[in-house]
Amino acid sequence: MRNLILFFRKNYFIFLFLLLEVVSLIFFFRTNNYQNAAMFDWTFAISGVINSTYRDITEYFSLKRTNLILSEENAILQARMPEALYLTDTVVFSRSDSLLQSEYRFINARVISNTTNRRNNFQMINKGALHGIEPHMGVIIGNKIVGQVVGVSRHFSWILSMLHKESKISAKFLKNNQLVSVEWPGGDFRTGIVKEIPKHLLVLPGDTIVTSGNSEVFPNGILIGTIEHLNEKRDENFNTATLTFLTDFNSLGYVEVVVDMFREEKEQLKASFKEL
Amino acid sequence: MTNLVVRNSVRFLFLVLFQVLILNHINLGGYTNPYLYIYFILLLPFATPRWMLLILAFILGLSIDFFTNTLGLNAAATVLIAFCRPYVIRAISHEPEEELGIQPSLRIQGFKWFFFYSAILVLIHHVALFYLEIFRLTEFFQTLLRVVVSSVFTLALIFLSELLFYSRRKARR
Repeated sequence: MRNLILFFRKNYFIFLFLLLEVVSLIFFFRTNNYQNAAMFDWTFAISGVINSTYRDITEYFSLKRTNLILSEENAILQARMPEALYLTDTVVFSRSDSLLQSEYRFINARVISNTTNRRNNFQMINKGALHGIEPHMGVIIGNKIVGQVVGVSRHFSWILSMLHKESKISAKFLKNNQLVSVEWPGGDFRTGIVKEIPKHLLVLPGDTIVTSGNSEVFPNGILIGTIEHLNEKRDENFNTATLTFLTDFNSLGYVEVVVDMFREEKEQLKASFKEL
Repeated sequence: MTNLVVRNSVRFLFLVLFQVLILNHINLGGYTNPYLYIYFILLLPFATPRWMLLILAFILGLSIDFFTNTLGLNAAATVLIAFCRPYVIRAISHEPEEELGIQPSLRIQGFKWFFFYSAILVLIHHVALFYLEIFRLTEFFQTLLRVVVSSVFTLALIFLSELLFYSRRKARR
């Protein structure tokens, strides 16, 4: 017993090192699963305040750009107003409000921390559980993809960016609804990769890729990017293609969090199907 | 003694804020960025107890992690270099540790000593950090490039800080 204690005292440096390494790695791999990101609520409070102060200051430098983006979004929304539509037919379709129920609600938020230079990138936004944000909600800017909420505290949330090795978005071609998936291979934040393209499909540069709406995260038809060029794989079952993101991930100002009103219902349906 | 403690605490705070507020937003060539914060570990006095080296490295790494939502990643890499530090010092010094001076410095130990000392530790840190972050082998060479480029930037910043802030110490010796 005494020898054992002596042994530990003699080699305490190595044991302390191993202990701290193991603790760090446990932290790392646990939070990497996004289960317990909100476990450390008080750290959100500190980093949230510092990040938002930083953002308050630097926001002024990008005001011009932010205005431009907002006015573009306004123009798009204006185009959807009934007043902007010209009636080409004499038939009037009347619709009762009780027939329509909105499927998605949007919560606007400000990005207060953002990176694009790592392999695994996150954004922090200034809204949290208090504003109704929950994990697994999608985040978009305008009509373009940003990422997915993974950690929520009372006032802030962490978003798993599209630019993360775990991001695998279910997507489709806008022109023919063919399902594919989109990932980010690292490196340049402007280019991603489209995988699982069926061999027979004619892919042209400039084809638009949008979200498929198959998951509960993003609605159908959120813009992801356009095809740059096709990489044909002779010895595999699917082709891949390089994609240019439509989102400028390096200048995210105000984003919208997508709230799917029917999520619970969809998940219940899926779960009941699994039990069969 | 108290002077040393105060100076190191101020350096700790300054480096964490500098890393989080400025360096983390630098985006050189698309996917590199310097990690100057480990300069704190490099500059700790030679007489720092070994357990304190590890504990300080752990706290330093965690403080950086809180801001990037990578809890444990920077902590693991920083604790690793704190562990390697005594061995690196012993391997590259000709004289015993007690005669090296108070703390590592470019002016006192000379260019060659300080270069090897910081280059080895920066490289260990960056290799651990980047490969742990990826945690797969398919992007091996792309990650290696990131390690090399980022290490060069970190080293450049360390030498720049040495030249800027520690010119007075030469006169004292």
